[in-house]
Amino acid sequence: MTAAAIDARGLGKDFGAIRALDGLDLEIQDGEFFGLLGPNGAGKTTTVHLLATLLAPSRGTARVAGHDVVRQGLAVRRSIGLVFQETTLDRDLTVAENLRFAARLWSLPDGVARPRIDALVRQFELLDRRDDPVRTLSGGMRRAADIARGILHEPRILFLDEPTAGLDPRARRLLWERIRGLRAASGLTVLLTTHYVEEAEPCDRVAVLDHGRLAALGTPAELKRAAGVGSLEEVYLAHTGRRLAETDGA
Amino acid sequence: MRAVYGIVAREFVRFLRQRGRVLASIGRPFVWLVFAGAGFATVFAGRSEIDYRAYMAPGLLGMVVMFGSLLAALSTVTDREAGVLRMMLVAPIRRSTVAFGKALGATLLGTAQAVVVAGLLLPLVHLRPTLGGALLGLVAVVFAGLAMGTLGLVLAASIRSIENFAGVMNFVVFPMLFLSGALYPVRHLGPVLRAAVYANPLAYGVDLLKHALLDAWAGAGYGGELPVSLDCAALALFAGIGLAVAAPLLGREGGVTRTAFRERR
Repeated sequence: MTAAAIDARGLGKDFGAIRALDGLDLEIQDGEFFGLLGPNGAGKTTTVHLLATLLAPSRGTARVAGHDVVRQGLAVRRSIGLVFQETTLDRDLTVAENLRFAARLWSLPDGVARPRIDALVRQFELLDRRDDPVRTLSGGMRRAADIARGILHEPRILFLDEPTAGLDPRARRLLWERIRGLRAASGLTVLLTTHYVEEAEPCDRVAVLDHGRLAALGTPAELKRAAGVGSLEEVYLAHTGRRLAETDGA
Repeated sequence: MRAVYGIVAREFVRFLRQRGRVLASIGRPFVWLVFAGAGFATVFAGRSEIDYRAYMAPGLLGMVVMFGSLLAALSTVTDREAGVLRMMLVAPIRRSTVAFGKALGATLLGTAQAVVVAGLLLPLVHLRPTLGGALLGLVAVVFAGLAMGTLGLVLAASIRSIENFAGVMNFVVFPMLFLSGALYPVRHLGPVLRAAVYANPLAYGVDLLKHALLDAWAGAGYGGELPVSLDCAALALFAGIGLAVAAPLLGREGGVTRTAFRERR
């Protein structure tokens, strides 16, 4: 039996009186494409930040790539790539300078980093913009550069936190093609958070978070069958729409 | 470490790309030399053994280091707002490495600016330091840069946004400059202000620079006023405390979710 890529047990996080995440149990297998759905404030980003060691859990434990997120933060961060909701690129530096900066942060020797940066820039169609400041790039190009930054160190596990927010349909489609290509080429484990439910259709498994709790978990087909509905969107609404219905009725 | 090198290299690339910042840092001490220097020089004229502009030189170099290193470290605020800080926090390096990289970048930027300004300023005010003096001056600039850089990191980790910047300038930068001995000898001040001077890291940097550059006038009371070893120890202490305080504060910035969460609710 191979170790799970991600294994969370009773993971919880409070911000003051707010329970952002309330006892999450989650196991994601190596190579899995996993979708985490939920409305804003459901705890998706909190989950990602806990797993990426950017936040310390209030309760529970989690292992990422076999390493404990509290005690082995460096080893966890070495195994993961994280593409944040908002860009983390330095707008004043060029695409190539940003990637070189990231390569140094991840301690990649120049000899390893240079060919990888060249390949990524080509793969993400940024070749003719590589020496332009990031500030001059379109939203879609910036996102592409962000993702290139996230996979430059060839992580085992990639977190994509709302990667398509603010992108036009063409840029979104292009991005999904690239992620599919990456998964096919490297067997990368991907944890995706999104509230565009249709984007989670190709996921191996999907979890729906609501109010910091796991409301549903399974393959898209299982979830549809269990809810007796035809689309993932209806599954999502069935699990998270309650609150709206209650407030409407009151 | 490559990560530290990467953080330092980025500081330099950013600095050199901002023409205005380069010109301001080189030009600022000469503006002070002309306006403040000309005014004070007439007040002191005929009364002192030293030309006031030469007396100002160590203080002006201290000022260059202060602005250079403090502003570079304060750029952590913009790093946070632009998200770049998160790229550093999710990298497989310790929070203290990020803090150290930023502090070292700030120190070296301040040092580089001070060296360039010294090359232009010292001949202008007819100061010709000995080799020993020049080396001590370099030590002073590096130590002062480290103390200012770590102070800047602590400030950057404590202030919420760049809008609070004016407050930092008014309540930190200017008092620090005036109470550093940059413009007048500390020994003439009363006990309260003198205590404030000795709580000011820049004062030790300026004092060390006076040892380095004004040693010839030490007999007339214009050289350094504290022992060299005390200056060095005080600067190292400020730098050490700054790093120790800034590292966990920077780590806390990983809690970006927290503010995002509050906004959403």
